[in-house]
Amino acid sequence: MGYSLQTLWHEKARYSAGVGAVAFSAVLMALQFGLLLGLFTITSIPLDHTDPRIVWIGSKGVEAIDLGQPIPISYLGRVGEHSGVLPPEPYIANFANFQKPDGGTDLCFLLGHFGNAGIPDMLTSEQRTALTEPFAIVMDESDMKRMGMTAVNQTAKINGKEVRLVGSVKGLKSLAAPWVICSHYTASELMGALLPPDHTKYLLAKCDTPERAADLAAHLKAEYSDMAVYTSGEFSTSTRTYWLLRTKAGIAIGYAALLGLLVGGAVTVQTLYAATIASAKEYATLFALGIPRWRVYVTVLFQAFWIGIFGIALAYPVVQLLAAGARAAGTQVILRWEIMTGTALITMGMSVFAGLFALRSVRGIEPISLLR
Amino acid sequence: MAAADNLPSLRAVHLLKTFGDGASQRTALRKVSLNLFPGQLALLMGPSGSGKSTLLAILSGLLHPDGGQVLTRPNDQTSFVDIWGISEAARDDFRRKHTGFIFQGYNLFPALSASQQLEIVLKWGNNLSPGEARRQAEEMLDRLGLLNQRHKKPAAMSGGEKQRVAIGRALVKNPTFLFADEPTSALDWENGQAVIQLLRDAAHSRGATIFVVSHDARMLPFVDVCFHLDDGNLEEHEIPLVVAGE
Repeated sequence: MGYSLQTLWHEKARYSAGVGAVAFSAVLMALQFGLLLGLFTITSIPLDHTDPRIVWIGSKGVEAIDLGQPIPISYLGRVGEHSGVLPPEPYIANFANFQKPDGGTDLCFLLGHFGNAGIPDMLTSEQRTALTEPFAIVMDESDMKRMGMTAVNQTAKINGKEVRLVGSVKGLKSLAAPWVICSHYTASELMGALLPPDHTKYLLAKCDTPERAADLAAHLKAEYSDMAVYTSGEFSTSTRTYWLLRTKAGIAIGYAALLGLLVGGAVTVQTLYAATIASAKEYATLFALGIPRWRVYVTVLFQAFWIGIFGIALAYPVVQLLAAGARAAGTQVILRWEIMTGTALITMGMSVFAGLFALRSVRGIEPISLLR
Repeated sequence: MAAADNLPSLRAVHLLKTFGDGASQRTALRKVSLNLFPGQLALLMGPSGSGKSTLLAILSGLLHPDGGQVLTRPNDQTSFVDIWGISEAARDDFRRKHTGFIFQGYNLFPALSASQQLEIVLKWGNNLSPGEARRQAEEMLDRLGLLNQRHKKPAAMSGGEKQRVAIGRALVKNPTFLFADEPTSALDWENGQAVIQLLRDAAHSRGATIFVVSHDARMLPFVDVCFHLDDGNLEEHEIPLVVAGE
């Protein structure tokens, strides 16, 4: 290992291409998966910013919060009375047409809560009070410009009915359609005939502990097959997974990451191959002296290992820097430890695999070539 | 003359080697036989293309002959072993234990110091511990007058120093046989003379059998025996009686 590292350090210029290639692969992979995770976290923001002790009851087979079909409010009776469970509250989550003050239109997504259960946690108490007024709405400040809203108290129209902006929040970013928070009453009024009478989209049962929520969800799932039941965490995961898989974005980004990995691997193979060929005479001398070939194989593999280590070490600050830049630009990048560790392991594996591939060059070295 | 044993340490018997096929076939060695003895510095001369390197490669176990035997008796053993009659693994093991090589180029690792060039052979070839390998490497460099240069890397060495390190690498495991291909070709005569004197000392003081291939006739006064190879035929030549430095 010592000779490998010493050689790598002595011939920095030669090996820098390999180190750069590994770093490139690692940066590409970590950022892409971080962006992907960040992107699809947006799809479950309403779930992630409500109480984790809530049990969500929706239409049969619903996999994502934005795909719920109307369910009868009479499902309230199915929850029944349980110790530690508050009476369920209706909740509307539905796309709507937003008419901007300047006349343009865009899509928005209504989040209409009834009581406290469905209110996103970033709302202030003043905003919660303000939302009790009919046709009052709150949206994320990052969406205001897009929706043509410039100040609180400004009015616009949703599904043709006038609404008034009573406040803005941070951290409720949207992917396709801006989230619009309002009361259940406002939401049902805005939905009008689109929501059948005595129907809602979800029922939210708030429990006193996450364990009780899990128990209640399991009980209701077993009892009723004609409705979907999730805890907040389960529904969040289901929503992200649905959009990740159904949009094929995960596959597309996976392919892009694979491409980066292949480019990195090819450059690393070439670097190690060229370095080994450049040392062919020295290795041939060792073989003439009877040094076993496996010693040189191990040296080349350790060189690959060190290239991987240096590449990953170089990639780490670059990833953090680029992620910070992306966040500053308003893009969500989630660099969870699983992404960072997975990226490190995959790129290290790629580097060692490149080393194995480069061993071909060692197999071709014969000491007889030194006798001209 | 060297203090050679009565029994040779290496016997080549009717070595035959041809290259190519049909009309382009060329015979490099025509039933070549020779005896080399422990403590003997032997020189092989001959015109370019005469088969010198081929003979060296066959004697050292690097190139398979088409016919004949290379019988070796390492460490003064009583029986001979035909190195072309044993398995490839056994032949590699034979080279690892008993042979050293000096090639025309120095072939030193650019990243390693003089001491490490020798240590790598002891650690990888003889499985010595790092401490013992360093001790033996420095002992050898001391004998070669290079102890103060042990931390130098090849880029900082002169041609003579590089060749002495290459000789040290070949001798550090105390081989029974040392094969050298044009060891002075890249050196001026002052350094070349120093190198051949080192080889002579290694043969005479350590009892090694040293076989040198060279065009350099100025080496003749230093060697114990000289062979001449021409068109695949080997002859033993008289050498001058006066040896420089003795």
